[in-house]
Amino acid sequence: MAEAAAATTAPVVASFDFNILLATDSYKVTHFKQYPPNTCKIYSYFECRKGKADDFKETVFFGLQYILKKYLSGSVVTEEKIQQAKQIYDLHFKQSVFHEEGWRYIVTKHNGHLPIRIKAIPEGSIIPRGNVLFTVENTDPNCFWLTNYIETILVQVWYPITVATISREFKKILALFLHKTSGSLDTLEFRLHDFGYRGVSSQESAALGGAAHLVNFQSTDTVAGLLMAKQFYYCQMAGFSIPAAEHSTIISWGRSREKDAFEYLLKQFPSTPISIVSDSYDIFNACKQIWGDDLKNCVEQRNEDSVVVIRPDSGDPVDTIMEVIRILEEVFGSTLNRQGYKLLPSFIRVFQGDAINLNSIEKILTALKNEDWSAENIVFGCGGALLQKLNRDTLNCSFKCSYVEQNGKGLDVYKQPITDPIKDSKRGQLILRRNTDGIFETIQEGKGNPEEDLLVTVFEDGNILQDYTLAEVRINAKLQAGDVQYLKPNAVPAQRCSLKEQS
Amino acid sequence: MDSRNGDFNILLATDSYKVTHYLQYPPNTSKVYSYFECREKRKEDIKSKKVQYDETVFYGLQYILKKYLAGRVVTKEKIQEAKEVYREHFQHDVFNESGWNYILEKHDGHLPIEVKAVPEGSVIPRGNVLFTVENTDPECYWLTNWVETSLVQTWYPISVATNSREQKKILAKYLMETAGNLDGLEYKLHDFGYRGVSSQETAGIGASSHLVNFKGTDTVAGITVIKKYYGTKDPVPGFSVPAAEHSTITAWGKDGEKDAFEHIMKKFSTVPVSIVSDSYDIYHACETIWGEDLRSLIEERSPSAPLIIRPDSGNPLDTVLQVLEILGKKFPPTENCNGYNVLPPYLRIIQGDGVDINTLQEIVQGMKEHKWSIENIAFGSGGALLQKMTRDLLNCSFKCSYVVTNGLGVNVFKDPVMDPNKRSKKGRLSLHCTPSGDYATLEEGKGELEENSPDLLHTVFKNGKVIKSYTFDEVRENAHLKPRDWGELP
Repeated sequence: MAEAAAATTAPVVASFDFNILLATDSYKVTHFKQYPPNTCKIYSYFECRKGKADDFKETVFFGLQYILKKYLSGSVVTEEKIQQAKQIYDLHFKQSVFHEEGWRYIVTKHNGHLPIRIKAIPEGSIIPRGNVLFTVENTDPNCFWLTNYIETILVQVWYPITVATISREFKKILALFLHKTSGSLDTLEFRLHDFGYRGVSSQESAALGGAAHLVNFQSTDTVAGLLMAKQFYYCQMAGFSIPAAEHSTIISWGRSREKDAFEYLLKQFPSTPISIVSDSYDIFNACKQIWGDDLKNCVEQRNEDSVVVIRPDSGDPVDTIMEVIRILEEVFGSTLNRQGYKLLPSFIRVFQGDAINLNSIEKILTALKNEDWSAENIVFGCGGALLQKLNRDTLNCSFKCSYVEQNGKGLDVYKQPITDPIKDSKRGQLILRRNTDGIFETIQEGKGNPEEDLLVTVFEDGNILQDYTLAEVRINAKLQAGDVQYLKPNAVPAQRCSLKEQS
Repeated sequence: MDSRNGDFNILLATDSYKVTHYLQYPPNTSKVYSYFECREKRKEDIKSKKVQYDETVFYGLQYILKKYLAGRVVTKEKIQEAKEVYREHFQHDVFNESGWNYILEKHDGHLPIEVKAVPEGSVIPRGNVLFTVENTDPECYWLTNWVETSLVQTWYPISVATNSREQKKILAKYLMETAGNLDGLEYKLHDFGYRGVSSQETAGIGASSHLVNFKGTDTVAGITVIKKYYGTKDPVPGFSVPAAEHSTITAWGKDGEKDAFEHIMKKFSTVPVSIVSDSYDIYHACETIWGEDLRSLIEERSPSAPLIIRPDSGNPLDTVLQVLEILGKKFPPTENCNGYNVLPPYLRIIQGDGVDINTLQEIVQGMKEHKWSIENIAFGSGGALLQKMTRDLLNCSFKCSYVVTNGLGVNVFKDPVMDPNKRSKKGRLSLHCTPSGDYATLEEGKGELEENSPDLLHTVFKNGKVIKSYTFDEVRENAHLKPRDWGELP
């Protein structure tokens, strides 16, 4: 794409303050002295190890490109940075342990570019746990110590991988219910909205996590993610939002004027969707009295393009949604879609953005379906559970050395702690391939056929060699037919008439 | 002003929906006043967790103010950039272009906001106001909650510093009980979390938060955050020692573990060195390699340069106890004044796997029961220290409590019928010390009538300037433990 080509030549604004020499775990500063003498190669790899419980059987590979572009590419080592690092480490260790010569060598011999090769699977790829996702090795024998120096920064890819993976698991659940109750997945990518900006640990994490969610969806309030997707993955606009209220814009009217607040909002946003948080005092009264009576006419005058989205934000998510939708049906009625599931009129919908996680979303959708409600009636918002309530152990992300060379002689290495077999690491040089059944598998000990290797060189000697767009990532990560499993046979067939008609 | 983020655009650093809020407040609103707290949960709603987090360390606001809100943060280019992004993002023109232009022209791009906060490092019980935010220019009533998204991210340094300090209490208690003093307390919990956080920026913030309470860290990023945004009288706020990782052991091959250990010990013979020993068999390593093959080399080491053996797998408590037992047989411990066993001074251990506030408690309790002094051990913690927490841990929340509409002040609040925990405070707030030494938040402007008890909230930011700045030394001073924190009566 012309857009992508133009963007490749324009340098990504690296963090000027950033110093790769200082972006490592302290102890790694001392490792150059610890490897066997005459070591000339350290080769390491990254995987999402298989765990005990295995909640997530496969992972979405995403985010390495961001790290490579922002932190590792180009001339990242300068004399100033060496001096800065030396000064800090001398004080931090209270002695001189810093490998000044080693880093200066990179400046003089390699013009500050890192003599490293990274091979990785294409971004967006869906890979089962326990497989190699990328490998790292030094390309200059003098820089054997560099491979694991950059472990710290590379391992942070656990975060966008994990967010993208969890986001995709949400997508599977939504697809299941949307497909069953409406027969169409057209609106799937707008059913889970990212609310997580304030609940992450930093601006940068918001950008990374926000972008990772947008691998699977197009719905977000985390603006930082849009910018990351544009700057690092060539997507002009990766996500969308709608006008919506927050508690301050309702309660600022005073307790007795909630209706005035709601009414004002409808007037201010006459022709766009508008989401109105309705639980500031009493969600059920708001639905019954204000929406259901005082403002009923105003609501009924709207249409699909100017839909009123009622947002509860407290209480048990399942009970609250079911009661809210029951009240709304009583007031506004419902119709049946082609699958025989109920739909609120097109001018009104519900939004649950509180206490949503993989468990509660399934409970809510199940409860709705059991009452014959289509999943089309509801959109979800998720904050902490999407962007913050995860860690490196969620997918057992791990970086380990598997192969070394001394005096030109190769050795397959590994750890195998006796008290924890889960922590065993892979051995030797690795490739990732599909076997004859089409299943991904990692071949160890240098036994793989390079022609079958799905790992692609993405970074070499300071240069980025592959440039994935979000569009490509999204294609790689899309749901497959097998992801939308069929429901268990005990599902009761939907009734053919609305409850209103029956009574 | 301190490091400016050339790229950062405050107009794009908010939840999308807030872009539309200027159109939603009551007409003629001239002030929106909001506050931040770590809400209390009602006793009956607290699931029986071992740790209650009754009080929180206030830290990290200064970083956000200096890095993101201070100075000339609005420019023509940024307004244009935001306008374009939002046009596409909403598929509509909802962006308050004139509102931001006003700030650019009238205030030279500085935010007409006042933030009042409790001093950084303060340890405050849950349910109290920690900072307040209000607009100083009536035209910019919409700005107060625009910056909520950025300001609420203080939940993170607050939570890391709080959780780190609660662990310090546990360590202090058991160190005092088993050793009779608190020597080395500040090095007993080492930050291993750099790789396990969600970004480089988080690493810096989180590491600095831990350093409020401790001085041992491997998360180098924390050092520059503290230097830039707080400052210390010491040249660096955190320290580390040479240590091995699995690759520097396994690279020698399975049969080369002893050679690896020996090589590393010799390379770092006059300083403490930590050597991970579980690559294949932690018990064999302790019993045979350390306990026999290399014993004399270890015994030669000085007390200021101990060998620190690091297990890294298996059940943390069981592993620690077993390792201590094996080492105790090979390197006979002495009994200290309190009757607990201490390994010879040239030998120590560090447990850096599976450590969180709960397992920490289990391990020190288990060691005490087996008559091992806490002098023998240090801990490392990664994910649990810096990543494994959310805004819900301390219920960090930002809410509007007061507005002025048509010249009249109104105390506002939310009070959802389905969740009394979510009720918010009303009106203008202040924080006071009671005569009994407790803290109390006064609502509805009542604090302004208090003559004898000053408001502990100070203006830290006004109209684009950081008015009050705390050094990291002040932060540490405010957050230090008191004897009651490790179980001693005053």
